Parts: sequence; structure tokens; C-alpha cells
Amino acid sequence: MISLEGISKVYRTREIETLALENVTLNVDKGEFVSVMGPSGCGKSTLLNIMGILDEPSSGKVILDGEEVEKYSDKRIARLRNRKVGFIFQSFHLVKELDTYDNVELPLIYRKVSAKERKERVGEALALVGLSNRMRHYPSQMSGGQCQRTAIARAIVGNPELLLADEPTGNLDSKMGREIIDILQKLNDKGTSIVMVTHDETLANETGRIIRIYDGRLIN
Amino acid sequence: MFRNYLKIFISVTRQNRLFTLLSVFGISLTIMFIMIISMTFENILNGSGPEEEADQILYAWRLKVTGKDENQKYYNAGALDQSFYTDYFNDLKSPEFVSLIRESIWEFIYKGNRYQEVCIKTDGRFWQIYDFDFVEGRPFIQEEVENKNNFAVISESLKELFFGDEESVCGRTVEYNNLQLVIVGVVRDVPATALNTQASLYIPYNLVPVNSYGTYTGGYQIVFKAKTRKDKPAIVAEVQEVIRRMNAAEEEQRLFLPGPNSDLDRLLIGYGDPEVYSGRTKPLFLFFGKILGILLLPAINLMALNFSRMRERAEEIGVRKTFGATSSIIQRQFVFENIMLTLLGGLAGILFSYLVVALFGSEIHLPIDSYRSVEINYSFNALIFLVALVSCLLFALLSGVLPAARMSRLKPAEILKGGEL
Repeated sequence: MISLEGISKVYRTREIETLALENVTLNVDKGEFVSVMGPSGCGKSTLLNIMGILDEPSSGKVILDGEEVEKYSDKRIARLRNRKVGFIFQSFHLVKELDTYDNVELPLIYRKVSAKERKERVGEALALVGLSNRMRHYPSQMSGGQCQRTAIARAIVGNPELLLADEPTGNLDSKMGREIIDILQKLNDKGTSIVMVTHDETLANETGRIIRIYDGRLIN
Repeated sequence: MFRNYLKIFISVTRQNRLFTLLSVFGISLTIMFIMIISMTFENILNGSGPEEEADQILYAWRLKVTGKDENQKYYNAGALDQSFYTDYFNDLKSPEFVSLIRESIWEFIYKGNRYQEVCIKTDGRFWQIYDFDFVEGRPFIQEEVENKNNFAVISESLKELFFGDEESVCGRTVEYNNLQLVIVGVVRDVPATALNTQASLYIPYNLVPVNSYGTYTGGYQIVFKAKTRKDKPAIVAEVQEVIRRMNAAEEEQRLFLPGPNSDLDRLLIGYGDPEVYSGRTKPLFLFFGKILGILLLPAINLMALNFSRMRERAEEIGVRKTFGATSSIIQRQFVFENIMLTLLGGLAGILFSYLVVALFGSEIHLPIDSYRSVEINYSFNALIFLVALVSCLLFALLSGVLPAARMSRLKPAEILKGGEL
């Protein structure tokens, strides 16, 4: 599904240079559920951002669904993000001015899907995460778990082949965290590839494979 | 897509009431200012008062005189000498009428009060070129001017000042520069927007001698009235032919006369070197530059507000880009929001200008030049609204494009992890 070959990422400021990832080579197959673990600041989120083309590597190659992502135009990168990848963040990142329905609809708007089809697909995605009765609620009117479920619905509404989840349960209590993992598990069962960053060893053990990172390098 | 833009605009507007209020108020003041300026310009250019047929009238109003050496930098430029009227342009074939105008400020003290009025010195054809409304008497005719008769035409308000509510004042006298002038007519007051004809006193030009310095420049503008608008190019050609002949005969000096020009061209050319500014592109560019200048300061202000507002919405930009928005989609969204905001401001501006004109129009005097001002009592029309609309759009683009372009270039990873913007 996605391959990283010799990926390095260096962050530079005027004063310092930080090596976030060093020569990372990694392959995630179609239908896999992979956990990424490691201490804070080891480069997990950077790895996820590069996999989802939210960030560019300083060196190395990203091959997403057979396409090498290199020097793509803004338009093509936006299209790839829209069609191939779905994102779930620890702090949900919902647009606070939009209600649940409009937040979930967002990826379909950029894909220029018809209004009728948008309505159907948003309905299905919200039903899957159990939020059919919260369509017109704003993020400020919902619990953390409901917000994260909205974020999952937004991530899956476009049927992406790869779902990238950056500590999706990090801001939730264990019960709600459990619910989220169950939803992800269901999606994986249907064939969606998932890469999830987590600090929770128990949750990681429920996934197919655990990748560990330390100081920007993969360790076995 | 636009439904989504609109939804977010309404929501953001509701949630940031102070920002919205400040922006809308700032924009509305700018738009109000532009509308009032436009109304004044429209009145001037459309020919108000006696200048209804402005589109048939041309002016030779500014002459440049230099030495024969083309590299010479020094020049003398000013209004024209009387000789252009009496000698050089007196037998032109293409104009229907040729007249001359010299405006001066007439200062006098009456019943202890000090007054500053405009006096126009002209000839008998002046009254044939412009359409004055005589409430009493008649104009002085060409023959009377040639005979140097001490005649004068006065405005209705001057009549009221000197003679109160006397019914007829023709035959009475008015004193101007120690001359006792017999009033032959009274005209209805001319609005200050009629730049060439507004005055309180009109007298024959040759009653007051004007010093000539032998440089062709003096205090007059020569007025040409064409039979139809189509005849204007022929007048320009004929006048330029006269100038060419004068230059051929001149041994030491070289003359340059722009036009003759319409009122609009004259406003555009302004008072720089006429040879440099008489092409139309540069003056037009300068004119729109001035309009842009008026818009620029509040636009920069709004731009700064927009920057801070967009920074607050950086997370939203990051989310939108993560889920497939291109930089140009983000730019479009923010420019759209800015256009909506500016239109709201424009609407308030139109409302404000309407209220200002209705409530205080007669008390606010807008300066037309250094000694004339005009009451704001114009009517609104489609053109003025169009100017307001175009100004709004221009304002929105000036203040919105740069912040939108800058914010849309940010990478989602930088924004969503809370990196420095």
C-alpha cells in the first residue's frame, strides 16, 4: 500500500538542526493494521505526516499505491490526500464553525461529489461511527469521544485505502478509546490499511504489527 | 463549494463580532468617502448647471514655452495670453464659437463682512456657449464687449446680498476694482461643480487690462464650442496647425499646447509638464493610482486584521488541506469571505452616505478647489452604485489576496502540530 525508502527528515531553524527521521525504510501492505510506538519526540508523528504527504522528507522516496510521490504539484498532492488517505488526529482537528455533517462532508466537497451522493455517504459514515443522531451538533456541543468519532467518519467518508491515525485515543478515557479501536478494527476488517501511532502497548498488541522508533530510527 | 464558503463566513462572522464590526465600519467609511467623491466628480464631468453641453466644449488652457533647444530643461507653463483669442485663434473655421475665460478672486468688504467671490472675465460669445438661466435681464453681447461697455452680469445670491429682495436690479451698479459696472442681467446661481462657469460676477474681459509678459502665457483659457461632438478632432487639428505655424515663425521659443482638451482630459493631465502628461495613458494611470491610493490605507489596515484573523484560523486551513483542498481553493475561500465582508461594509457605506447626504448634505461643504466648495446634495444613481461596487471588489482584493496567498502556502503538518506560522 505504501513504501518508504531511505526516508530522512531534518528540521532546521536559525539556531539548530534536528534530525527527526534517519534513513527509514518501511513497507505497509494492503489491509495491514500497523502500530507505531516509541517515546515522545522520537519521530512517530513525522513518519505519519510523511506517509500521508502532509510533509516532505528531506531525502528518500515515498511510494503510495504504486505512485512515487516526488515533486508533485500542489493540485496533485491535494488529490492524492483526498482520494488515497484518511487522517485521524489526537486532538480531532474538527472545524469548530461547522457542524458534524459539514465536517464529515469536507473531503467529498473537494472531490466534487454531487450533493445527493454526499448526503448518502455522509449518512453511511456517521451511521458506522454511531453518530446519525448528532448530525447538526457542533464540536463544542459534543464529548471528546463523539468528536473523535466524527473525525473518523470524516477520514473514512471518501473510502480511502490508507488510514493514518495519530494517537487517536490519546485524548480519550479508556472506555471511549476502546470504542474508537473497535471502529478502526471494523474498518480494517473491511480491507482498509491502517497505520496508528500509539503509546498504549495493549492497544498496539491488538494490531497486526508493531513498528518501534527510537531517535528517528526504526528498531526491531 | 460556495455554500460551504458562505456557511463558514456566516459562522465566523457570528463568532468574531468585534472583528466583523470593526472591519465593516472601516470599510463603510471608505466606501462612503469614495461615493461622495464619485458623486462630485460625476457632477463635474457630466456637466452641471450651464455646462450641460460639456461634451461639445474644448479648452486651450495651458501652454508650455521653452527655448528652441529641445534638451533645455527649463520651461514656462501657464494659462494663455489674450493674444491667442484676439490674434491667433480668432478666425478658426471648425468651432461654432470661440470665447475666453479668466477667473479671479474678488475680495470685498460689505457691511463689515469680508467676502471672497469668483469673478469671470469673458466676452459675449461665452453666453452662447454656456446655457445660463437668466432670472432677470440679459447677457452682455459681443458688440458691447468690443465697445468696452461697463456692463456686468451677477448671480442671484450676489443680488440678494447687495440688494436684498428688490425685484429688479438691472440698471443698478456694482463696484469692481474701482469700476462702476452697470448690471444688465442676473443669473440663477451656478453650482460649484460647474468649474468653468461658477461665479458671482461676470464682466467683459477687456475692462481690466492684463499684463502680458511677451511669453505667450497669461491668465486666459480659450474655449471652443464644436457644432457637434464629431467636430472636436477638427478643432484640435486646426488649433495644432496654428501652433505649428507659430513655432515655424518663432526664432527663439518653442510652444507646446495640449489638446485643446475636454474637462476630463484637463483633470487627468493636471498641472505637471503638459508635454509629459498630455498622453492619455499616463494621466489615466495617475488618476486610478490616486483612487487606489485612497483605498490603500484602509486596505492595508484590513489586510493586517485579515492576517491576524487567518492566523487564528490556521488549524482550519491545515484541516482543509489535509482533506484535499489545494492552495488555490483556500485562497478562493478567504478572498470570497473578504468580498462578502467588504460587500457588507459597502452596503453600510451606501446607507451611511445616503444618511449623511439626507441629514447633513447642506451643511457639509466639499472643497472643489482652493476657493470653492460645494454642498453635498446630489442624487444617487446607477453609476455611483457601480463605483461603490467596483471599489468594494477592489478593496476586497487589495486587502484579501496577500494574506490568503500567504496562509494558503503553509504546509498542513506545520499548522496541525502547532508550529510557528
